[in-house]
Amino acid sequence: MDPFSSPAPSSGSSGPSTEALMDQVKAQLAQAYAEEFLETVRSKCFAKCITKPGTSLSGSESSCISRCVERYIEATSIIGRALFSSPR
Amino acid sequence: MIINMLKTSHQLVHISHQEKQKAMVSEMVGKITNVCWDKCITSTPGSKFSSSESTCLTNCAQRYVDMSVLIMKRFQSMQ
Repeated sequence: MDPFSSPAPSSGSSGPSTEALMDQVKAQLAQAYAEEFLETVRSKCFAKCITKPGTSLSGSESSCISRCVERYIEATSIIGRALFSSPR
Repeated sequence: MIINMLKTSHQLVHISHQEKQKAMVSEMVGKITNVCWDKCITSTPGSKFSSSESTCLTNCAQRYVDMSVLIMKRFQSMQ
């Protein structure tokens, strides 16, 4: 069975097989979001930090990338708070 | 969108409404962060955001939502 196919849902609304399927889908969702997040960070930080690719990553490029990753994670929480905790 | 991928593979039957909401929220935060980073972080990333950068990010997120609401209204009024 490939990872994206599944057996027909059981007719009961509860039971171990339905719960196991729910957990599996939640895990797949979490993994998909993690991969998408990493791809976005790679793209943003390459654009900001690697302006002239050399024969290896320089110290300043490496520091830039570290800061970029931290800032992007911080930006994500700023956006989360802007949308869900500030009353307007 | 990731949640659309799950729809086509018939996996969404297995998760609760609450989980779907959480997934949609994650999707939206990810999308808006992507767009607002480009608008607001114009120089090399520093060890912290300047106050103008963090204000820009907050404003950007809220204006993006305002825009989405406006677009829906316009679109619906044209039906």
